[in-house]
Amino acid sequence: MDDAGPSDARACGRRGTTAERLRHAVGDRIGLTLLSGAIAALLLTPLLGIALSAAEVGPQDAIGILSRPGALSVLWTSVALAAVVTAASVAIGVPLAWLTAWTDLPYRRFWTIVVALPLVVPSYVGAFVFVHAYDPELVVDELGVTLPSIYGFGGGAVVLTLFVYPYVFLTTRAALLGLDASLTDAARTLGHGRRETLRRVVLPQLLPSIAAGALLVALYTLSDFGTPAIMRVDTFTRDIFVSYDTFATERAALLSVELLALVAVILAVESRVGGTAGYASRAARGTERTRLGGWRWPATLLPAAIGTLTLLIPVGVLLGWLVRADYQYAAESLAFQPSFAVNTVWVAAVAAVAAGAVAVPVAQASVAGGRLATLFDRATYVGFAVPGIVLGIALVELSTRVFPAVYQTLPLLVFAYVVRFLPQAVGTIRSSSAQVDAGLVDAALTLGHTRLGAFRRVTLPLLAPGALAGAALVFLTTMKELPATLLLHPTGFDTLVTYIWRVQGDVYYGRAALPTLALIGISMLSMLVILSQEGDDGG
Amino acid sequence: MRKDRSRRGVLRIGAGIGAATLAGCGGPIDGTVTPLPGSETETDDDELLPEFRGSGSYVEGRPDLDAPSMADLPPLSGELSIYIGVGEGGLYEDLITRLSEEVYPDFEPSVRVVDSPNALIKEYEADTTRADVYWAVDAGSLGAVADAGAFSKLDDGAVGAVPAAFRPDNQWVGVAGRARALPYNTNALSADDLPDTVMTLPDSGLAGQMGWAPTYSAFQAFVTAMRLLEGDAATRDWLTGMQDAGITELGDEWLVSNAVADGEFQAGLANHYYALRVQAARPDAPIDLAFTSGDAGALVNTSGIGVLNDTNRTQVATRFVRHLLSAEAQEFFATRTFAYPMVPGVPPAGDLPTIDELEPPDIDLAALSDLEPTLDLMRDVGVL
Repeated sequence: MDDAGPSDARACGRRGTTAERLRHAVGDRIGLTLLSGAIAALLLTPLLGIALSAAEVGPQDAIGILSRPGALSVLWTSVALAAVVTAASVAIGVPLAWLTAWTDLPYRRFWTIVVALPLVVPSYVGAFVFVHAYDPELVVDELGVTLPSIYGFGGGAVVLTLFVYPYVFLTTRAALLGLDASLTDAARTLGHGRRETLRRVVLPQLLPSIAAGALLVALYTLSDFGTPAIMRVDTFTRDIFVSYDTFATERAALLSVELLALVAVILAVESRVGGTAGYASRAARGTERTRLGGWRWPATLLPAAIGTLTLLIPVGVLLGWLVRADYQYAAESLAFQPSFAVNTVWVAAVAAVAAGAVAVPVAQASVAGGRLATLFDRATYVGFAVPGIVLGIALVELSTRVFPAVYQTLPLLVFAYVVRFLPQAVGTIRSSSAQVDAGLVDAALTLGHTRLGAFRRVTLPLLAPGALAGAALVFLTTMKELPATLLLHPTGFDTLVTYIWRVQGDVYYGRAALPTLALIGISMLSMLVILSQEGDDGG
Repeated sequence: MRKDRSRRGVLRIGAGIGAATLAGCGGPIDGTVTPLPGSETETDDDELLPEFRGSGSYVEGRPDLDAPSMADLPPLSGELSIYIGVGEGGLYEDLITRLSEEVYPDFEPSVRVVDSPNALIKEYEADTTRADVYWAVDAGSLGAVADAGAFSKLDDGAVGAVPAAFRPDNQWVGVAGRARALPYNTNALSADDLPDTVMTLPDSGLAGQMGWAPTYSAFQAFVTAMRLLEGDAATRDWLTGMQDAGITELGDEWLVSNAVADGEFQAGLANHYYALRVQAARPDAPIDLAFTSGDAGALVNTSGIGVLNDTNRTQVATRFVRHLLSAEAQEFFATRTFAYPMVPGVPPAGDLPTIDELEPPDIDLAALSDLEPTLDLMRDVGVL
């Protein structure tokens, strides 16, 4: 952009008629859409494995399974849990985003990091810690009040919300930072009150971003098994897992198809609300912060409370376990090895780069428009809603039958991570793509750059922050992923989570604490990368 | 059934006495046995045992073992792919490491710890089995692999010493068991005070003085066994009866066994090894075990191993199975985690009956994996 570029023959050729440019643009869009479609198709191949497996259930049995007693009730519980967690995440995430982005809250930068960090604590670890740390009887004795059991729908919803609401916080905050202050100023100038401005100007602009975060929360909740299992909530995924436990993989596949149908409905609903989700112009200049006045300090209680529940308590409990050496049988083969951390970071980094690279064309195509491109974009979300074990078994099935050479190799494992976590990168890159003014690309072409050169020198730098943030999100969710990792990792390639999984049983809390703290520590660094991409917000 | 074993020359392995006369002749096959630390150039049968045996109060005064020694088994060498079901707390890997690093330097096992046999079964169905043997902690997982037809039949000569109930159709063989038992406080009760079946417990007057851990998976397997043996209605009555009698609920069976030893209540329902662990930690603890017979309370679940059909390493795989049934390996399980040795010639830790003296119910252990109806029932009566 900053240099004029050589004015060679090709450049003269480029400087063609408007019609010619239009033809190129249309050609680009078709090419991009095709590429996006190819990626979506590749990512959806594991579903083929699920469908094949499900098809092995006879029609009679299938009807029996789908209309089993209690089927409606678990379906209802799952939907209700997803709805409650999503609503609660919006209720927590949006105010926190507003507080940290648009107000004069003290130590905004610090609180931003604190309230984003819960995302790095695996929700199953959070649930595990809460279940062990929460002792109603203790409180009863001390204070003389009766607390409800932590188990069940309420406890499950609370724990899930605490560790997944940052999806909403992050997307909403990005949108708030990007919101053009001139629009609100204009609205105010035109005599609209604060409330009116919020309703007519701010909310419509924020809604797509809130919806993008809410979608991730809803799909995460639907697909999660570990947390509902620990919190003893009877969800749909539990049915699927029971099928695996009783070695009825075909039944599990059929139930997964049912779950996918539900996901399709959610995606359809979201695309109504979401539109070009995550658009942020970043044209914001001189936004005047809302003065909290007397509420300035009391307002910090909200992020402080969230930080205590989601960070201080889990890390404190883990540290407590770390110092408590209470092993019944100290197996030598279960000793912690630094290679677990190295493997974890290595495979997560590869998955992050791969997901970032794949997400760019999908997001670009989606922003360029077209129903087909939007469909492909949404198709990539399906993987996020498929429970890891379902995806893992599907890939075991496909690879052993069709491509045995990749079974239990890193490429297949990375593929699984990309399938599962790509939408997180697509979402953030889509926001950045929306900022790329087509005029800029045209200008670069006019100035004699090749199409590739224009992409490299104009588009890519503009996409970079979104791509990096997206890759970082993929990085940290990959590090937390357990079920697919267990099924697909190369033999001998142990990671932090596979180690935590092995030592968490029985009386090995002490041993699970160290790798869990390492996991959280590494994840925190990743989260700092995400937040540093926002640029300086003056906090 | 022990015919073949005697051909191999069963050795009585004493605790040091008479070892010289009974010693083998310098290891299984020339050069395959590395001298162990502290041993002379000659490896005799007794010198392997201390490597595998645990430590602590139970090890002193261990009786002679009546099982083949590793030193008399054909050696392990070459590669072997072992899938291990999770839940063994690293113990099995420790044993494998001992074999490969200290006994057979040419033995190159690769271990993959798996959550369930689902992937293994998928591999088998696609003709791409990666495992040579599958070693699981529960009979249910083994049964699933056997049902898929993925195991090859084990030779009686290799596994005949194990009671038939723990090697169904020789598809797989149990290597270390865990028995349901009634731990009781010896200050409060004597063995005669405990019934011969758990079914009479609700009306015995004892139940109000007992503890249990309904959230614990072994307890849930026990309830599943009761459902299969007595039916849902009787199981429901039993659970309700125990609750009405005022049984105390604790978080797990380690806590139950400790509370029994502390006299918090007189008896409990638990896996047998927790009482042994209590005693290992507190040798004077007033705790002993009673076993019922033929009912759900006498359930014995087992970890076991099978050789995959599709392996082309059948020989070393079978030898590996035989090594797990050797005196040393059985002693390893008995003295390190207080598991029930599956070879009757190796007694369990403590003064417990040997495996062939227990009277487990006649039940298909694989059926215990169907947990869901049990959980529904337990929730329904309010136990969970």
